[in-house]
Amino acid sequence: MPREKRTIPPDPVIEAYKKDVDLTLLEENLRLTVDERLEKLMAIQRFAEELRRAGRKLRGAQ
Amino acid sequence: MTDFETLLHLLARARVEFIIVGGAAATVHGSSRLTQDLDIVYRRAPENLRRLAEALSPHHPYLRGAPAGLPFRLDAETLQRGLNFTLVTDLGDLDLLGEIAGGGNFEALLDYAQPIEVYGARCYVLGLERLIEVKRAAGRPKDFEAIAELEKILEARERG
Repeated sequence: MPREKRTIPPDPVIEAYKKDVDLTLLEENLRLTVDERLEKLMAIQRFAEELRRAGRKLRGAQ
Repeated sequence: MTDFETLLHLLARARVEFIIVGGAAATVHGSSRLTQDLDIVYRRAPENLRRLAEALSPHHPYLRGAPAGLPFRLDAETLQRGLNFTLVTDLGDLDLLGEIAGGGNFEALLDYAQPIEVYGARCYVLGLERLIEVKRAAGRPKDFEAIAELEKILEARERG
Protein backbone atom coordinates (compact mmCIF):
# COMPACT_ATOMS: atom_id res chain seq x y z
CA MET A 1 0.00 0.00 0.00
CA PRO A 2 2.31 2.87 1.02
CA ARG A 3 4.41 3.98 -1.90
CA GLU A 4 6.98 5.81 0.17
CA LYS A 5 10.73 5.87 -0.32
CA ARG A 6 11.43 8.26 -3.12
CA THR A 7 14.18 10.77 -3.33
CA ILE A 8 13.06 14.37 -2.94
CA PRO A 9 15.45 16.71 -4.76
CA PRO A 10 16.77 19.49 -2.54
CA ASP A 11 15.24 22.93 -2.87
CA PRO A 12 17.70 25.77 -2.14
CA VAL A 13 15.05 27.86 -0.37
CA ILE A 14 14.06 25.01 1.92
CA GLU A 15 17.72 24.16 2.52
CA ALA A 16 18.21 27.72 3.78
CA TYR A 17 15.28 27.35 6.19
CA LYS A 18 16.62 24.05 7.52
CA LYS A 19 19.42 25.84 9.33
CA ASP A 20 16.86 27.31 11.73
CA VAL A 21 14.97 24.12 12.54
CA ASP A 22 15.09 23.38 16.27
CA LEU A 23 16.29 19.80 16.30
CA THR A 24 15.83 19.44 20.05
CA LEU A 25 12.06 19.87 19.64
CA LEU A 26 12.01 17.31 16.84
CA GLU A 27 14.00 14.78 18.81
CA GLU A 28 11.62 15.18 21.73
CA ASN A 29 8.58 14.68 19.47
CA LEU A 30 10.04 11.69 17.69
CA ARG A 31 10.32 9.91 21.03
CA LEU A 32 6.55 10.23 21.56
CA THR A 33 3.79 8.00 20.24
CA VAL A 34 1.34 9.42 17.68
CA ASP A 35 -1.34 9.78 20.38
CA GLU A 36 1.12 11.61 22.61
CA ARG A 37 2.05 13.98 19.77
CA LEU A 38 -1.59 14.89 19.18
CA GLU A 39 -2.26 15.26 22.90
CA LYS A 40 0.70 17.61 23.13
CA LEU A 41 -0.68 19.59 20.17
CA MET A 42 -4.05 19.95 21.90
CA ALA A 43 -2.36 20.99 25.14
CA ILE A 44 -0.46 23.70 23.25
CA GLN A 45 -3.71 24.79 21.61
CA ARG A 46 -5.36 25.01 25.03
CA PHE A 47 -2.44 27.05 26.33
CA ALA A 48 -2.59 29.39 23.31
CA GLU A 49 -6.33 29.89 23.86
CA GLU A 50 -5.78 30.64 27.52
CA LEU A 51 -3.10 33.19 26.61
CA ARG A 52 -5.46 34.82 24.09
CA ARG A 53 -8.21 34.93 26.72
CA ALA A 54 -5.85 36.51 29.24
CA GLY A 55 -4.70 38.99 26.60
CA ARG A 56 -8.29 39.99 25.82
CA LYS A 57 -8.98 40.46 29.52
CA LEU A 58 -5.83 42.55 29.90
CA ARG A 59 -6.72 44.74 26.94
CA GLY A 60 -10.24 45.12 28.30
CA ALA A 61 -8.84 46.28 31.64
CA GLN A 62 -6.60 48.91 30.07
CA MET B 1 -9.41 24.44 20.15
CA THR B 2 -9.88 21.54 17.80
CA ASP B 3 -10.78 18.30 19.53
CA PHE B 4 -8.77 15.97 17.30
CA GLU B 5 -9.61 12.93 19.38
CA THR B 6 -13.38 13.31 19.16
CA LEU B 7 -13.31 14.33 15.50
CA LEU B 8 -11.22 11.33 14.51
CA HIS B 9 -13.39 8.97 16.53
CA LEU B 10 -16.49 10.46 14.98
CA LEU B 11 -15.23 9.98 11.44
CA ALA B 12 -13.83 6.52 12.06
CA ARG B 13 -17.00 5.34 13.79
CA ALA B 14 -19.06 6.55 10.84
CA ARG B 15 -16.70 4.62 8.53
CA VAL B 16 -15.82 7.74 6.59
CA GLU B 17 -12.92 7.17 4.21
CA PHE B 18 -10.39 9.96 4.58
CA ILE B 19 -6.70 10.75 4.80
CA ILE B 20 -5.23 13.15 7.35
CA VAL B 21 -3.11 15.78 5.61
CA GLY B 22 -1.77 19.22 6.51
CA GLY B 23 -0.54 20.25 9.93
CA ALA B 24 -2.11 17.35 11.81
CA ALA B 25 -0.33 14.91 9.48
CA ALA B 26 2.88 16.82 10.17
CA THR B 27 2.23 16.39 13.90
CA VAL B 28 1.75 12.66 13.41
CA HIS B 29 5.15 12.52 11.75
CA GLY B 30 6.75 14.44 14.62
CA SER B 31 6.46 18.13 13.73
CA SER B 32 6.68 20.58 16.62
CA ARG B 33 4.59 23.21 14.86
CA LEU B 34 1.17 24.30 16.06
CA THR B 35 -1.84 23.73 13.85
CA GLN B 36 -5.35 24.95 14.53
CA ASP B 37 -7.42 22.66 12.36
CA LEU B 38 -7.82 19.15 11.07
CA ASP B 39 -7.38 18.83 7.31
CA ILE B 40 -8.65 15.70 5.64
CA VAL B 41 -8.94 14.57 2.04
CA TYR B 42 -12.19 12.65 1.81
CA ARG B 43 -13.30 10.10 -0.75
CA ARG B 44 -15.97 11.54 -3.00
CA ALA B 45 -17.96 8.34 -3.48
CA PRO B 46 -21.69 8.98 -2.84
CA GLU B 47 -21.85 6.63 0.14
CA ASN B 48 -18.85 8.31 1.73
CA LEU B 49 -20.36 11.76 1.22
CA ARG B 50 -23.49 10.58 3.00
CA ARG B 51 -21.50 9.13 5.90
CA LEU B 52 -19.40 12.25 6.21
CA ALA B 53 -22.38 14.59 6.21
CA GLU B 54 -24.32 12.45 8.70
CA ALA B 55 -21.35 12.24 11.04
CA LEU B 56 -20.78 15.99 11.07
CA SER B 57 -24.34 17.30 11.00
CA PRO B 58 -24.98 16.98 14.76
CA HIS B 59 -21.92 19.16 15.36
CA HIS B 60 -23.24 22.18 13.49
CA PRO B 61 -20.78 22.51 10.63
CA TYR B 62 -20.72 26.00 9.15
CA LEU B 63 -18.51 27.78 6.64
CA ARG B 64 -15.59 29.28 8.52
CA GLY B 65 -15.41 33.03 8.20
CA ALA B 66 -18.80 33.31 6.52
CA PRO B 67 -21.35 35.76 7.90
CA ALA B 68 -23.80 34.24 10.35
CA GLY B 69 -27.21 33.30 9.09
CA LEU B 70 -26.37 31.95 5.65
CA PRO B 71 -28.63 29.08 4.60
CA PHE B 72 -25.80 26.56 4.73
CA ARG B 73 -26.52 22.92 5.36
CA LEU B 74 -23.85 20.27 5.11
CA ASP B 75 -25.42 17.24 3.47
CA ALA B 76 -24.33 14.79 0.79
CA GLU B 77 -25.76 17.03 -1.91
CA THR B 78 -23.80 20.05 -0.68
CA LEU B 79 -20.63 17.97 -0.60
CA GLN B 80 -21.34 16.67 -4.08
CA ARG B 81 -21.81 20.17 -5.49
CA GLY B 82 -18.64 21.53 -3.89
CA LEU B 83 -15.14 20.22 -3.42
CA ASN B 84 -13.20 21.86 -0.60
CA PHE B 85 -14.96 23.12 2.52
CA THR B 86 -13.36 25.04 5.37
CA LEU B 87 -15.66 24.47 8.29
CA VAL B 88 -16.09 25.43 11.88
CA THR B 89 -17.88 22.84 14.01
CA ASP B 90 -18.68 22.34 17.68
CA LEU B 91 -15.54 20.20 17.80
CA GLY B 92 -13.27 22.76 16.18
CA ASP B 93 -12.05 23.71 12.76
CA LEU B 94 -12.21 21.07 10.08
CA ASP B 95 -11.17 21.35 6.44
CA LEU B 96 -12.77 18.86 4.09
CA LEU B 97 -10.69 18.65 0.95
CA GLY B 98 -11.86 16.86 -2.18
CA GLU B 99 -8.38 17.27 -3.57
CA ILE B 100 -5.14 19.07 -2.82
CA ALA B 101 -2.69 20.86 -5.09
CA GLY B 102 0.10 18.60 -6.20
CA GLY B 103 -1.51 15.56 -4.63
CA GLY B 104 -4.90 15.05 -6.20
CA ASN B 105 -7.88 13.32 -4.69
CA PHE B 106 -8.36 10.55 -2.14
CA GLU B 107 -7.68 7.76 -4.62
CA ALA B 108 -4.50 9.43 -5.88
CA LEU B 109 -3.22 9.98 -2.34
CA LEU B 110 -4.15 6.58 -0.96
CA ASP B 111 -1.05 4.95 -2.46
CA TYR B 112 1.03 7.35 -0.40
CA ALA B 113 -0.99 7.08 2.79
CA GLN B 114 -0.17 5.03 5.85
CA PRO B 115 -2.70 3.33 8.09
CA ILE B 116 -2.49 4.55 11.67
CA GLU B 117 -4.43 4.15 14.86
CA VAL B 118 -4.96 7.41 16.71
CA TYR B 119 -6.73 7.35 20.08
CA GLY B 120 -7.93 3.90 19.02
CA ALA B 121 -9.45 5.23 15.78
CA ARG B 122 -8.16 3.63 12.61
CA CYS B 123 -7.51 6.00 9.75
CA TYR B 124 -4.93 7.01 7.17
CA VAL B 125 -2.30 9.70 7.30
CA LEU B 126 -0.43 10.99 4.30
CA GLY B 127 3.11 9.64 4.25
CA LEU B 128 5.92 12.01 5.14
CA GLU B 129 7.53 12.16 1.70
CA ARG B 130 4.26 12.85 -0.09
CA LEU B 131 3.33 15.41 2.56
CA ILE B 132 6.56 17.25 1.81
CA GLU B 133 5.87 17.08 -1.91
CA VAL B 134 2.35 18.47 -1.69
CA LYS B 135 3.46 21.25 0.64
CA ARG B 136 6.19 22.08 -1.82
CA ALA B 137 3.69 22.02 -4.68
CA ALA B 138 1.43 24.45 -2.84
CA GLY B 139 4.35 26.90 -2.95
CA ARG B 140 3.15 28.99 -0.01
CA PRO B 141 5.88 30.98 1.74
CA LYS B 142 4.20 30.29 5.09
CA ASP B 143 4.96 26.59 4.56
CA PHE B 144 8.71 27.00 4.03
CA GLU B 145 9.62 26.56 7.69
CA ALA B 146 7.23 23.63 8.03
CA ILE B 147 8.72 21.93 4.96
CA ALA B 148 12.24 22.45 6.29
CA GLU B 149 11.24 20.80 9.55
CA LEU B 150 9.55 17.88 7.78
CA GLU B 151 12.64 17.34 5.65
CA LYS B 152 14.75 17.28 8.80
CA ILE B 153 12.42 14.63 10.21
CA LEU B 154 12.79 12.65 6.99
CA GLU B 155 16.57 12.91 7.19
CA ALA B 156 16.50 11.74 10.81
CA ARG B 157 14.29 8.83 9.82
CA GLU B 158 16.59 7.85 6.99
CA ARG B 159 19.57 7.91 9.31
CA GLY B 160 17.63 5.52 11.53
